[in-house]
Amino acid sequence: MDYDAMDMDTEALGPAVKISEADSTHVNFELSNVDLSFANSLRRIIQAEVPTVAIDLVEFMANTSVLADEFIAHRLGLIPLDSRNIKDMPMARDCDCGGHCDKCTVILTLHAKCLGDEIMNVHASDFSVSSARPNQTVGNPIITDPEGLGPLICKLRKGQELHIECMAKKGIAKEHAKWMPTSAVGFEYDPHNKLHHLDLWYETDAEAEWPKSKYADWEDPPQEGEPFDYDAVPNRFYFEVESAGNIDPDAIIQLGISELQQKLAKLITGLGEKSNIDDQYDGPQSPGAMDDGAMYQNDGYQTAYGNGGAQSAWGGGATAYGTTPYGNSGQGGWS
Amino acid sequence: MPSRTKKTEQPEDASMEDVPTSAQPDQETGDAMQEDEFAENGGSGNGEEEEDTVQRVRILPGSSPTAASFEFLEEGHTLGNALRYIIMKNPDVEFCAYSIPHPSEAKMNIRIQTYDTTTATAALAKGLKDLEDLCDVVADKFWTERNRFTEAGRMESD
Ligand SMILES: [Zn+2]
Repeated sequence: MDYDAMDMDTEALGPAVKISEADSTHVNFELSNVDLSFANSLRRIIQAEVPTVAIDLVEFMANTSVLADEFIAHRLGLIPLDSRNIKDMPMARDCDCGGHCDKCTVILTLHAKCLGDEIMNVHASDFSVSSARPNQTVGNPIITDPEGLGPLICKLRKGQELHIECMAKKGIAKEHAKWMPTSAVGFEYDPHNKLHHLDLWYETDAEAEWPKSKYADWEDPPQEGEPFDYDAVPNRFYFEVESAGNIDPDAIIQLGISELQQKLAKLITGLGEKSNIDDQYDGPQSPGAMDDGAMYQNDGYQTAYGNGGAQSAWGGGATAYGTTPYGNSGQGGWS
Repeated sequence: MPSRTKKTEQPEDASMEDVPTSAQPDQETGDAMQEDEFAENGGSGNGEEEEDTVQRVRILPGSSPTAASFEFLEEGHTLGNALRYIIMKNPDVEFCAYSIPHPSEAKMNIRIQTYDTTTATAALAKGLKDLEDLCDVVADKFWTERNRFTEAGRMESD
């Protein structure tokens, strides 16, 4: 490993993972010997960029229930659909069909009418999923309750009817939260707040008023009168990943990492085509291909160095020289 | 006064096929400005590889071989912070930082300044590669641990 060769103090050991709990709905693990920025990237990517399928378009043939069409449509979007075998399904916008087809869309239909005196409950299990789809599991509503009913969609009184056709498509949560594979992701580090990343509010004593996390036992508590370590950085991260049911929790982590890698791979390929990076509108010459005496000026842009940064629309005060390196290189920049 | 819905000349509901697919705009209706700037691919005219090769990184004007700012499209803190960290780990790099200049523009800038031993572009390429390697290790460690954990669970229940 390239980065192993670099001086990485505790990180020299290399990343480590320790699972403390795992079942079909959640996985708790500790990720250590990585930087906060990487751990946070992992958290962000499993929440926002692991693709799933969710209902994206609903046609109402009949809705005489007490709920408005858009209200029901919103609920339908949030029903978890099986996304375990989503690999062979393209995003609808990337599909050759240009709209929707068997390869990129799963059609779910539901037709319910209450005829009896009892109030009728309509559940996700009442959907019939069209067989024309990428494979025979993708798009099935996730049903985990003991009765096997699935999420409740609406209730119908005598004479009321709901007849809908839904199109489920692949997407990511960056676009809409209904595509989240996770229902919750716990992320914490430094349970004793030794790093002072938190400024705990208190009435009289923060120590007494703030309950300790369960991970507090995993790390040494601060010693009495221990001086603050200015060089300390967070090193152990505690994840608690809870699946919404559409993808298994362990697979979410795996897919998240591979999603990040695909992102990187695409950028590496883009950079590899050396010409492209500089080929853009008004872009500068390739720095590598440039002679020593070359001027880095084009299209009237001044160089950020030569003019104190006043003129350039891009550089100027916004260059690294204009901002303090402290705020950026430290731990303050993440969110 | 509450706004009123005007009755238009459309007595029947539009059929599903006629309705634009909600949140997923057609290629043509994408962000016009971004297409102007980036989808042209330098205007080099070779239309062989149009799709998926939309250039997502460019060097901002005012850079030198060892000090450059890169602009990434459609990227944010997820890539920016981790990449900044891994580039900073490179001993040939003097300075590296990232910023998202404006929250409503999906752009992320990375500033790299290196010593004379390398170039900013090379440091960026190495950073991407190193981060990919790190991902490999973490993915491998996680899956090994997952298998160990399920195996241990099975032993216990036997
Ligand atoms: Zn299609």
